[in-house]
Amino acid sequence: MPIVNDKAFNLNQFQCNQCDFIYDPALGDPTGGIAPGTPFAMIPDTWVCPDCGATKADFIEIKPGS
Amino acid sequence: MTARNLKPDIFAIGAIDWHRTTFDALVPLPHGTSYNSYLVMGSEKTALIDTVEPDKWDELLQNIKETPVKTIDYLISLHSEQDHSGCIPKILELHPEAQILTSPKGKEQLQLLLHLPDDKLRVMADGETLSLGNKTLTFMHAPWVHWPDNMFCHVAEDKVLFTNDFLGAHLATDKLIVTDKDEVYSEAKRYFAEIMMPYRAQAARHLERVKTLDLDLIAPSHGPVFTKPFWILNAYQEWTADQTKNELVIAYVSMHESTRLMANYFATKLTAAGITVHTYDLAKVDVGELAIALVDATTLLIGASAVVQTAHPVAVYATALINVLRPKLSHYGIFGSFGWAAKIPEQLTGLLPSLAKAEQLPPLMVKGLPKEEDYGEMDGLVEIIVKKHGEKRLMV
Repeated sequence: MPIVNDKAFNLNQFQCNQCDFIYDPALGDPTGGIAPGTPFAMIPDTWVCPDCGATKADFIEIKPGS
Repeated sequence: MTARNLKPDIFAIGAIDWHRTTFDALVPLPHGTSYNSYLVMGSEKTALIDTVEPDKWDELLQNIKETPVKTIDYLISLHSEQDHSGCIPKILELHPEAQILTSPKGKEQLQLLLHLPDDKLRVMADGETLSLGNKTLTFMHAPWVHWPDNMFCHVAEDKVLFTNDFLGAHLATDKLIVTDKDEVYSEAKRYFAEIMMPYRAQAARHLERVKTLDLDLIAPSHGPVFTKPFWILNAYQEWTADQTKNELVIAYVSMHESTRLMANYFATKLTAAGITVHTYDLAKVDVGELAIALVDATTLLIGASAVVQTAHPVAVYATALINVLRPKLSHYGIFGSFGWAAKIPEQLTGLLPSLAKAEQLPPLMVKGLPKEEDYGEMDGLVEIIVKKHGEKRLMV
């Protein structure tokens, strides 16, 4: 398995299915306590969407090329 | 209420709403509320922190007139909800010189809710400071206590922190400062349950930040101001923690006594087993009381009779509300009675996506009045719950 498939290193963006906010690991969510560079999988389950308050489970991965 | 001194050149000028009975057309206010607004007068500049509900404008205006303040340079909006922001347009009419200071999300919200002009709004970054001369304000972003826009404002020289909704309480009182914890505790807990519980992880994070500050006073936007020792910080620590107590909530609605018999049987047996039980008849409950009990509860049982083919609408309403509140329950179960067709457990469980991490107990639906074998099944469910509480080391 190539290392890029490991969830902890997955730098794909994730989109909130409630409000369409896009989590970009490069930017993180500093006001939500998530440092830039944090892959989505490494965010704690208690984190919420900075725009609408939806939970982490409401986010869907945006796969490159899809 | 009159303008009052909180610290030298810091005035409390908010309004007290003694007779308001509900908030957000949703939650009862058994003791009214207040909308706290503060004036911070520096040697060079003056800042107004938040305003009041628009229908309390006259009171706010009168209070401002009682202070020596003539010019308002900055109008700080810590949270754009209308009970705090609603009088901003009126302040701007009287003080067109004022600049509105807000968080990035606050700017968006103030434009949506009050149609404020872009050039009046100045966005403050997290940690940004602003000098009023001999007083320095520091802004701290605090998203999700209660909206994404919330901010705190710290006055370093006076050791005062303005927290807006965070640490507040819906309580109308003539006392500016809390001296008796018992007077405020249950209203602060009710407020936490209704407003902060859905985002308790965020609340816990902001709490840690507040604890690092050297403070004399914590001034929220509802209810009285806190002074040392800050018991409210310890209370929030407990309420936001993952740990639950050996407590169980039964929330039920009954049409012809069958569901009530089940609720009472569960309450009796679980109490006898050593679990603290809070029982609410949803047809009569103050939903705030239910919310308070859910702050500490490990287990929830929702009881519903069937109406036509569905769960009683009162139970549907309460279940939807519980889902919004996102309590830290470990287990929940559905019980009730029906006459013919009823998919009550499936229906109510479907309304609880925010409890996805909680374990669902076996549902227990009884056809008609509970019979002997039904009581046997109820005993079985009681046994399961007692075992689960034991496994979580809650039983003493």
